[in-house]
Amino acid sequence: MTLQEQIRANRWRTLWLLLLFAVLVGVLGAIVGFAFDLSLLIVVAVVGFVYAIFSWLGAGGIVASVTGAKPADRAEYPRLYHVVETVAIAAGLPQPPPVYVIDDDAPNAFAAGRSPAKAYVAVTTGLLNMMSERELEGVIAHELSHVRNRDVRLMTLVAVLVGVVALISDLLLRFAFWGGGKRGGGTAGLIALAIGIAALVIAPVAAILIQLAVSRRREYLADSSAAEITGDGEGLALALRKLQLNTTETKHASRAVAHLYIESPLNQASGVRSSMRSLFETHPPLEARIAALEEAGGFHLAPV
Amino acid sequence: MTLAIVLAAVAAVLLLFLVLTFNRLVRLRNETKTGWANIDVQLRRRFDLVPNLVETVKAYADHERETFDSVTQARAAAQRASGPAAAAQADTILGGALNRLLAVSEAYPQLRASENFLALQQELADIEDKLAAARRYYNQTVYRYNTVLQSFPAVIVARALRFHEREFFETDTRDAPAVSLAQP
Repeated sequence: MTLQEQIRANRWRTLWLLLLFAVLVGVLGAIVGFAFDLSLLIVVAVVGFVYAIFSWLGAGGIVASVTGAKPADRAEYPRLYHVVETVAIAAGLPQPPPVYVIDDDAPNAFAAGRSPAKAYVAVTTGLLNMMSERELEGVIAHELSHVRNRDVRLMTLVAVLVGVVALISDLLLRFAFWGGGKRGGGTAGLIALAIGIAALVIAPVAAILIQLAVSRRREYLADSSAAEITGDGEGLALALRKLQLNTTETKHASRAVAHLYIESPLNQASGVRSSMRSLFETHPPLEARIAALEEAGGFHLAPV
Repeated sequence: MTLAIVLAAVAAVLLLFLVLTFNRLVRLRNETKTGWANIDVQLRRRFDLVPNLVETVKAYADHERETFDSVTQARAAAQRASGPAAAAQADTILGGALNRLLAVSEAYPQLRASENFLALQQELADIEDKLAAARRYYNQTVYRYNTVLQSFPAVIVARALRFHEREFFETDTRDAPAVSLAQP
């Protein structure tokens, strides 16, 4: 696929995943209406809605404190500022975002901020020491693509939805165990209740799997957008290859912000990934990301 | 009665299409304007830098008058240029003249060691990189805008609503007349 085709395909896949999410919530609602009382559906909807609003308002602004990022001094990091400003222009951001540095030997970078105007990027000192200017450009372009594609907002929204699904399932399960459910008598009623309970157990897991699939899709999208911004997909691919060969663990990273990084800050041990485990990753395997960049850019990196 | 409803529905759909197309074209056109503003910032930075650079080199290499003149002329021509295509062409000439100025300064070790000269040279490199980035973004926005403008059915309303295709900012080195200016 060409770069433009990759970008379009990734956008469509995100849309499908969000639709899947809507279907999941719809099914959950149907179960409530079918196996339990209809008035309960209204209560659950209200609780979910209020919870969603509060967690949406509460999210954001926590990232910098979590990861230990400090504002970068322009005199100390002239190369970093040059790259960030240049890439911000190429990405068409309204102004260059504030730059932060994290004192950590593990190479990694992330961007945050719900809109391009409020964005900021952070890189670790390990990344700065390791990457050439061309590779650094690729990494920064990947991060600024997350900002331009509104991924922070999207992932916050998805996280809120996951929370709502988990909350509703939890509430209904408790209700079921306390002897709720309108079809008390007969085998059919019991079966309906059993199906309902099974669905409630599965729903939160399904929600998390969709969330992770969205996250991985946005990584591919940020990669191809970055190649479009810099006009140099090979630079990013080279940077990803360096990350692949490096196995230092990122400090201060939590699962909550993992999707913001250039590569997953958790479980960096490379090796055989089973397909089951890859379902639970926030990022696609680096090898697959490099392959996608190679396909669009028409180049080939030397094999490891 | 049925006919009236059908006509009203058709009119509503047409109106909706018109509004959506218009808004889309405005958004895309504004993006190209932002892109052009980015280029303009870097071009201006370079215009401001040129006199300083010429003065600095002059202090060490006074008799390279021909080179100074070609840079000053190229700068004046670039400042006069209107429209992206003309600006791009004038900018290529200025870039060529600046390159020759830097090549000339290679022969003066004292100049090359001057802190002022080094700072100017670094700023020039910074401008070049950002100009290339701004050009890439601008040309992408123009490509998107022009593509929508030329596609059916937007093409029907675009003309009526006075949307016009925008020029690319292209520095086509193949036809660049920079060489002809080297020997005036």
